[in-house]
Amino acid sequence: MHRVFKAGIAILAAAVMTTGALAADWTPPGPIKLIIAFRAGGGVDTQARLIAEELEGRLGWKFIPEQVTGKGGMNMASALKDMPNDGTAIGMGVTETFGYNMAAAPKSGMTPADFTGLTTTAGFQMGVVSPASKGWKSFDDLVAAAKGGEDIRFGVMSPRLADLAYLLGKAQGVEFNIVSVKGGKAVLDGVNAGDLDVGFMAGIQGKGVAAGDLVNLASALSEPLVQTPDAPTFADLGVDFNSDGYFVFVGPAGMPAEARDALAAAIAEIVADENSKAGGLIKKAFGGSATISGDDLTVLMNNDYKDAGALLDAASE
Amino acid sequence: MGTLDYIWSGVLAVFLGPELFSLFGLPVSVTLVMIFAGFFLGIAVGATPGLAGPIAMAISLPILISVFGYTPDALLPVMGFLIGVMKGATIGGAVPAILFNTPGTPDAYMTTLDGYPMTRKGQARKALRVAHLSSVSGDTFSDIVLIVCAPFLALLVEGYLDLPEKTALLILSLSFIAAVVGGSPAKGLISTGLGLLVAFVGTGEDFYPRLSLGGPVLAQGFPLATAILGVLIVGAVFKELADIWREKRISGELTTIEDSGDQKLGFREIRRLMPHIGRSAVIGTAIGALPGIGSTLAATIGYTVGKARYQKTKSADDPDFGKGAPEGIAATEAANSSVSGANLIPVLSLGIPGNAAAVFLILAADSIGGFNPGPSVFRFTRDAVNPELVIAFGLFTAMFIANILNWTIGGVFMRSMGIMTRIPKQILLPTVLLLTLTAIYVQETRMDAIWFTLGFGVLGYAMRAVAMSPLPFVIAFILGGKLEESARQAFAATGGDPYFLFTHPIAALFMALSVGVIVLTARNSRAKASGATT
Repeated sequence: MHRVFKAGIAILAAAVMTTGALAADWTPPGPIKLIIAFRAGGGVDTQARLIAEELEGRLGWKFIPEQVTGKGGMNMASALKDMPNDGTAIGMGVTETFGYNMAAAPKSGMTPADFTGLTTTAGFQMGVVSPASKGWKSFDDLVAAAKGGEDIRFGVMSPRLADLAYLLGKAQGVEFNIVSVKGGKAVLDGVNAGDLDVGFMAGIQGKGVAAGDLVNLASALSEPLVQTPDAPTFADLGVDFNSDGYFVFVGPAGMPAEARDALAAAIAEIVADENSKAGGLIKKAFGGSATISGDDLTVLMNNDYKDAGALLDAASE
Repeated sequence: MGTLDYIWSGVLAVFLGPELFSLFGLPVSVTLVMIFAGFFLGIAVGATPGLAGPIAMAISLPILISVFGYTPDALLPVMGFLIGVMKGATIGGAVPAILFNTPGTPDAYMTTLDGYPMTRKGQARKALRVAHLSSVSGDTFSDIVLIVCAPFLALLVEGYLDLPEKTALLILSLSFIAAVVGGSPAKGLISTGLGLLVAFVGTGEDFYPRLSLGGPVLAQGFPLATAILGVLIVGAVFKELADIWREKRISGELTTIEDSGDQKLGFREIRRLMPHIGRSAVIGTAIGALPGIGSTLAATIGYTVGKARYQKTKSADDPDFGKGAPEGIAATEAANSSVSGANLIPVLSLGIPGNAAAVFLILAADSIGGFNPGPSVFRFTRDAVNPELVIAFGLFTAMFIANILNWTIGGVFMRSMGIMTRIPKQILLPTVLLLTLTAIYVQETRMDAIWFTLGFGVLGYAMRAVAMSPLPFVIAFILGGKLEESARQAFAATGGDPYFLFTHPIAALFMALSVGVIVLTARNSRAKASGATT
């Protein structure tokens, strides 16, 4: 016991010392707490851990990943908000948390201004996915089944997606039984276990679709999916809204520019490198990295927050 | 890959994992060393009154993770260590129950009934031998069932249990525990209700936290460790301290006991114990396989069934159950130990913990990543390797290594463990309290967590003072979030049918059983009470 503890201290000390030697302009003043907003095994979690692992290897920075899940990333955001803004506490989630979710929950008292956007890593490849065992080849088959009287269980992992699923049903003249679960991995598990008939997946369906176990019936984006370009987009299906969004790293508000830029640059470099584990995963699941950082990211987060009202209004009609 | 390939890869992952050092030219993997280390820690904490496997797991987990990191390579060493602790603590747990009449864990309570009388008769070491034999036999039996049944049971469970059924099964588990473990069904239900109430603080689907009184302190809810360790350990420490204080006011010294009679366990005696061990092992395994139902219930049923059987077959001069019968120890220990292996069936197939030890295994898997207990674990993919399945078989291998240690070194170690229990309680209990609070602060790193823990400790003390088992509280706290989640999902999936628990046949059956078990236990305990007064 004692020896294990000593070994732990030794490793920590070694990590701190190598940090000083390797990083040039900015070094974190201590181990970095990495707060992950979604459940273990999902897209956010896998990316966050792989990126942290790679940063530890390349720069010698020490990360302490921690899961603060729930409420569509809002729990992560509220945990992160009051942490030190010197770069020793960052969070990974999705842009949706800072846009729709904060707009929909004025009681939380949080706005994008309470955070410093570091960088996005990749855009969603948000598909409407069903298991191959259902036998649906296209979105029309799903609508036909629903019109034929079959109850369709539609898995969603956030309130914004629940709104979108509702609007999709409305546009197509059918009603889905919308089931909220925690995270994209839970949608995948639910679909695999037969608890759900169809659901939103933001990229983790890639492997299953390639293997023929899952089918991308539609793209919930403004663009077609990289993997299944023939699937109709939400605009094709008569929905004026889409689930465009990114996986994003953030820090508390007022982070010094050198810390923000150093973190953003280090992360962006890794996700763009397809030979790294993180970059490889992003290439496979999301068709490549999409890194937006600095002022561009601030503008993006603010616009998402401002535009959220329209979707909220449409879904509550 | 075929099934055998998966099993073999799992075994290799344990033995040929990252190498720590080599012994006579043979590489010794980190995982192997960690299983040994965990095993010795487990047996030591199990034998210390007031300490148990879960607390050792709680303290070691953050240290292990800071040493091994978050890579998939860390999974087997860390979980191997935890499995070692779990296994070691299983047999160690009987030691304080037998020697000092203080069960370290609730499931060892029934062991005190015959173990302590044997100690007072000077048969302590014999009692320890009986406990060791029964415990390890039950445990090994249950592991075999786990390994043979977990893969298909996982699929079977998924095939039959849709969302409404899962919700109903959770309700059944809770009412079962409330009825059977709680002392009386009413107390059990109160304990369960309190657990659910606490679980619902700060959680939920809304964007703002409920029941948080508007402040930030409760907004994230109560951390798992504060509620569980607070009620189970801090509560027990408070109770023990109060008892010592009272004892000291009334009397003075502890009496010392000399050994008397034959301490060895002969072949004929083993043959007499075997039916009790076998029966209890089956009972324990069956109960362990149900999600969310723990070892205390198994121990209780094993003891009760064993007692009924024993009354019919014993010869006139054998001691009764409760008066120092070795069969009583055998029936209890085989039942509570055989739960642990089977308990991992719901853990691996559904992610539902059946006991506190399983909670820490899930916690470890969650924090490290790369292994997500659930239906995806047992997918035997032929074209691509399913790494989670390899890990699962690696865990099974670790369990068997720990079992071999239990059979061999465990027996020797446990009998010599009596020395550790000579630490005076007035020194031991504050140490336990300090360790617990430190463990919690290490995990939560905020003072609120310490206040929560002390608050739950007071609750645990109060529950013990009114003879209410804290166990339903703990299980309800663990399952509360899951119950709400699956109920919401079932409600949505059935298109907003408010009667979803009653319109599906299997769910309706579970609900009927939930009500039935409460009514029956209430009637039985009332009959017993009136029988006792007349």
